[in-house]
Amino acid sequence: MRNRFDSQLETLNNMMIEMGSMCEEIISLTAKALQSGDIALAQRIPKLENNIDHMERDIETLCLRVLLQQQPVAKDLRQVSAALKMITDMERIGDQASDIAECIKYVMDKSEEDCKYINLMAEAVIKMVTDSIDAYVRKDVQIAHSAILYDNIVDDYFLKVKKTIIGLIENKHSDGEYLLDLLMIAKYFERIGDHAVNVAEWVEFSVTGKHKGENK
Amino acid sequence: MTKRIFRAICVPAMVVLVASIVLIMGFLYEYFNSIRKSELKTELFLTAQAVEFGGINYLENLDIDNCRITWIDVKGNVIFDNRTDNNNTENHLEREEVKTAMKDGYGESERYSSTLTEKTIYCAKKLSDNSVIRVSVSQSTILTILLGMIHPITVVLIISLIISFILASRLSKRIIQPLNNIDLDNPLENDTYEELSELLSRIASQQKQIANQKSELLQKKNEFQAITSNMNEGLILLDKNKKIISFNPSAKAFLIADTQCIGKHFIELERNADILRALQMSEKNNSSELQIERNSRTVQVNISCIKNNNKILGFVILIFDITEKVGAERSRREFTANVSHELKTPLQSIMGSAELIESGIVKQADIPEFIGKIRKESARLVVLIDDIIRLSRLDEGTTLPKQKFDLYELASECISRLKIFSEEKNIILNLHGKPTEICSVRPLVSEIIYNLVDNAIRYNNKNGCVDVTILENKIVVKDTGIGIPKEHQERVFERFYRVDKSHSRQTGGTGLGLSIVKHAVEDIGAKITLTSNVNKGTEITVIF
Repeated sequence: MRNRFDSQLETLNNMMIEMGSMCEEIISLTAKALQSGDIALAQRIPKLENNIDHMERDIETLCLRVLLQQQPVAKDLRQVSAALKMITDMERIGDQASDIAECIKYVMDKSEEDCKYINLMAEAVIKMVTDSIDAYVRKDVQIAHSAILYDNIVDDYFLKVKKTIIGLIENKHSDGEYLLDLLMIAKYFERIGDHAVNVAEWVEFSVTGKHKGENK
Repeated sequence: MTKRIFRAICVPAMVVLVASIVLIMGFLYEYFNSIRKSELKTELFLTAQAVEFGGINYLENLDIDNCRITWIDVKGNVIFDNRTDNNNTENHLEREEVKTAMKDGYGESERYSSTLTEKTIYCAKKLSDNSVIRVSVSQSTILTILLGMIHPITVVLIISLIISFILASRLSKRIIQPLNNIDLDNPLENDTYEELSELLSRIASQQKQIANQKSELLQKKNEFQAITSNMNEGLILLDKNKKIISFNPSAKAFLIADTQCIGKHFIELERNADILRALQMSEKNNSSELQIERNSRTVQVNISCIKNNNKILGFVILIFDITEKVGAERSRREFTANVSHELKTPLQSIMGSAELIESGIVKQADIPEFIGKIRKESARLVVLIDDIIRLSRLDEGTTLPKQKFDLYELASECISRLKIFSEEKNIILNLHGKPTEICSVRPLVSEIIYNLVDNAIRYNNKNGCVDVTILENKIVVKDTGIGIPKEHQERVFERFYRVDKSHSRQTGGTGLGLSIVKHAVEDIGAKITLTSNVNKGTEITVIF
């Protein structure tokens, strides 16, 4: 019985990493498609998002089965409950990435200058997602913290993107839809950053038992 | 062990005890029985004698308690009995002892009581008046005696049990101690029971065998590790659950892993989705390969799935760094494209001019101009093919003999060859330094100087100047030309590489000059350095 439990937890761990890897893939593909304006690349993204959704279902089922059949306690319980929370955030990352991919075709004729900060922001967000998954894989609170702190940088970039767009509006930019799409893309990236923070926080919880640095 | 020895001691002890009790009891009982009988017989005879004389009076006055005396008349009726009342006893004629006494004058018999706890011995004698006098005595049976002895026997049993237990534990301890003290690491050096020598020698031989196999395994492992740790390719072995069995240093750098990672799932170290997919694919197709970019290097990953009877045993992942290969492939493609382009352009121009002349479109007066063009382009083609031939000769790597010669003299010779060309562009050529003798391959050095100076003139501004300086063991060619931008400086030595991407023919170079220089410099084991500023000039130094 215990053996089965251990192997279930191991499977859960591996599935979580796999889902993390899917998130990393989808977001880096999104960033690449956005940068190069490659529509073919962007069209691959909804399929990846679908895979992530399936993965979320599978992990959820496994978590509930473990909870019902094995009644885990202490660290194991934290692992399972943190996993349940994390998959929601990871699934959202996939959703946002696919939302960005949808916007790509409307911003095809963007200029380098307009997208400078969005590209930087994408890189920062990729780093955040990678870090939070890394933190999960290594069960390392330090990496989780650095991922959480990195969110400030992403937020800064978002403000800069906003300023750039405001500047464009002041200069009487003709295409309003284009500007809004740029803003949406930046907002989606900013949201992905927030989800990465959530993932990192749940990693911290599963390791230390404290969520968001509570002192209980 | 103790239990066994205890049993071995206890069981015989019990058997001996019981047997001796049975034997002794049986023997003694028989002995006392016979004594008792003879005593009874004596008593009977005495009583008979007395009754013959004294009659019933004697019997009635007799006060004996420990035996029963009965007087029976001829018909079997009891005349006297000192235990029971006369009227109550039945006819005694059928009793065995009475019957025998009636017949032979004397009879005896034994009878057990109904509970078997008592035995009665009867003796009877016929008197002179044919009546019978009988004396009987009762006696406990052997069973009663034994029952009476149950307490002492139990005590003896308990004592013997205790003794045998103590003995057994001591004995087993003493037997086992040498066994426990056996040094199993050196089985042959033990001084213990002879019976164990075979076992010990067997253990010794097996130990030797194990040690041999162990060292063999270790050797093989070391060999494997030596091979894998020295190979440039990364090698990762996974078991059937995709857990890491081993990896070599190259793979370690690729995975960013440490030794603690052995036994972990592969996904914990590598979660590149493409690699994971390839790993999944290899289960179906037995092998898969992919190329990925990592840390600005191109890496080829080959994954093979090891199967036996369709059962997965593990995975082997090989990682090759193919950055150079990809780069070489790219420059080969570029070279082929360039060479065909460079060869085709002059030919196109020659063909065009010739066609125009042939169709008579060109005026008679213009023909010399067109022919001049054809000649010029042909000359260019010859120069180009010459360069390519020279370069491919260098590529072949035939080593030319070294010799001593004067560098200054060689430089001035090269400069004089280029005099006309420089005068065409109105460029001043200066040669500084003094005669210096060096030992090198003369034709190659000549090639280097010629090409460097040629380039210095070709890419110079109008009315510029070229300074060639001969120093101890180096030659510096400096011009006042257009210079080479920083980002192109590394690539100008590549074949057909042009800073001016438009491939304009203004300068008339072949794009192979510096490439030949680089090759020649490498062949003679010299060094070349380049410093350049855009619109100020270029300085190239060759150190021999």
